[in-house]
Amino acid sequence: MKQSMFKKYGLHAILFPVAILWIGPLIWILVTSVKTRVEVFDSNSGLLPQNFIWDNYPAAMSVAPFGTYMMNSFMVTGGILICQIVTISLAAYAFARIKFPFKNVIFSLFLLQIMFPIYAIFLTNFITVRELGLMNSLPAMIVPFVASGYGTFMLRQAFMQVPSELSDAAKLDGCGHFSTLWHVYLPLVRPTLIAFAIISVVTHWNDYMWPLLVTNSESVRTLPIGLGLLAKSDSGADWTRLMAATVIVISPLLLLFVIFQRRFVDSFMHAGLK
Amino acid sequence: MRFPFQNTTKESLVALAMLLPSLIFLTAFTYWPILRSLYFSFHDVMLGSDKIYFLGWENYERVLTDGLFWKSFRNTAFYTLITIPVAIVCALLLAVALDTKIKGVSLYRSAFFYPVMIPSVAAGMVWVFLYAPGYGPINGMMDALGLPKLEWLYSSDWALPAIMVMSIWKYSGYFMLILLAALQLVPRDLYEAAKLDGVSTWHQLIHITVPLISPTIYFVVIIGILHSYQIFDYVFVMTQGGPADATNVLTLYIYQNAFQYQDIGFASTVANMLLLFICILIGLIAATLGRRVHYLGR
Repeated sequence: MKQSMFKKYGLHAILFPVAILWIGPLIWILVTSVKTRVEVFDSNSGLLPQNFIWDNYPAAMSVAPFGTYMMNSFMVTGGILICQIVTISLAAYAFARIKFPFKNVIFSLFLLQIMFPIYAIFLTNFITVRELGLMNSLPAMIVPFVASGYGTFMLRQAFMQVPSELSDAAKLDGCGHFSTLWHVYLPLVRPTLIAFAIISVVTHWNDYMWPLLVTNSESVRTLPIGLGLLAKSDSGADWTRLMAATVIVISPLLLLFVIFQRRFVDSFMHAGLK
Repeated sequence: MRFPFQNTTKESLVALAMLLPSLIFLTAFTYWPILRSLYFSFHDVMLGSDKIYFLGWENYERVLTDGLFWKSFRNTAFYTLITIPVAIVCALLLAVALDTKIKGVSLYRSAFFYPVMIPSVAAGMVWVFLYAPGYGPINGMMDALGLPKLEWLYSSDWALPAIMVMSIWKYSGYFMLILLAALQLVPRDLYEAAKLDGVSTWHQLIHITVPLISPTIYFVVIIGILHSYQIFDYVFVMTQGGPADATNVLTLYIYQNAFQYQDIGFASTVANMLLLFICILIGLIAATLGRRVHYLGR
């Protein structure tokens, strides 16, 4: 009896405080965004504000063009995703279902990209993008991510699990490789496609270093870059406005996460395991 | 009437056509930059200048005798070698705790996972606030617990550990989810049998759970190392490498050399050293951990 009492509450007794620590920063962002500046610097004022001040939100919106940033983030993330789905579907199908020479060598070349992410090779990529005349444009933020070794790997695993009788049947019906891919394979691997899409969107929506390097004007900046600039110009003087801006920047993904929690969790859980 | 030879040639051409879009972009933005970085490292190249002079090994000699290079190398290694194991142990403990039927499992899971959704720049900024020496809540908590207040990001001893704590907060939930997926595949009857034999929970974890999910732990270690590159974002937002280069890391050092000193040749050399470090690290892990990995049913 005692044992089961511990089982019932003991785990909560450990997990609950840890969970509170983990969501602490989020609570801090939300609470600060509705405080006054005076309250932020007064250590005796407690966690909650005296009155909820909503003025910080319009103030944040007026100090930087967050609408433009959001639109750019949307275009860049969406552009990357669409291009990736095309390139990885084609490549994954070739690796999973067609026999051709040097297949393993070429496949390991694809995997090489996972080991050398943009953080490792940003410098020479920066020079390439400048030579291509793409600096300070939306395509500059898209092109390095069009091909994805990780996505190709994930999708190849899924394609290999499609029973080959299905593609044989399609062949008998006179379907070529391209129409087999489109009509048979892609509909069958939808869960994997969605999982990849979620991971890709989360990664590139939040990208900081690369967009920072290749943009230098308001019209092409994305949300994280805009937030970083605001932080720098404020330099800690106006935390309330900055936290309101942070809420604006983090809420699109967090809202999606809350609504589609299961899908998000499943995607990240099974990425790379199947 | 088709000959098999023609058939395979045609098939290979279809395959090539399907690989081509990926190969073009991989060549332009992965293979070419790596080769070019090698080429630049043997030359004197300045940003925005067309003139290139051959230097031989001079850049490499300079790197190896450069104190700041070694300092950022040590910081990078320290960050990676401490943060990733600690985050994985945290993640494993959380995953084991949540692989049970307690109430509110999905709430707990979300509480630990949500930092993954937050952009690195926003996370970095919020933690600057949390760490603020005068009015930040972390020092407030230290004070309440009777511990000394620290300067955190303004102290050359504490700045890097402070960033590491933030990284553990940011990534543990991600690793936890991947480990949780593996735990759900471990057959329950193994635990039942162990329980009947009187094996303690701790020994179950070490002798049953960890060996059985070792392929996934190995996978998480590799993912963790690749994620540790992202320290650039945190350092750039939180400390700019300071105080006194206490948080300067290789990626930031590349950035400084390329964009502040315009020395592309030297920056490329540092970049190649970073690639070498990552390759050696992953090679070592594959040779040690990878060999011990226990595959279920193989």
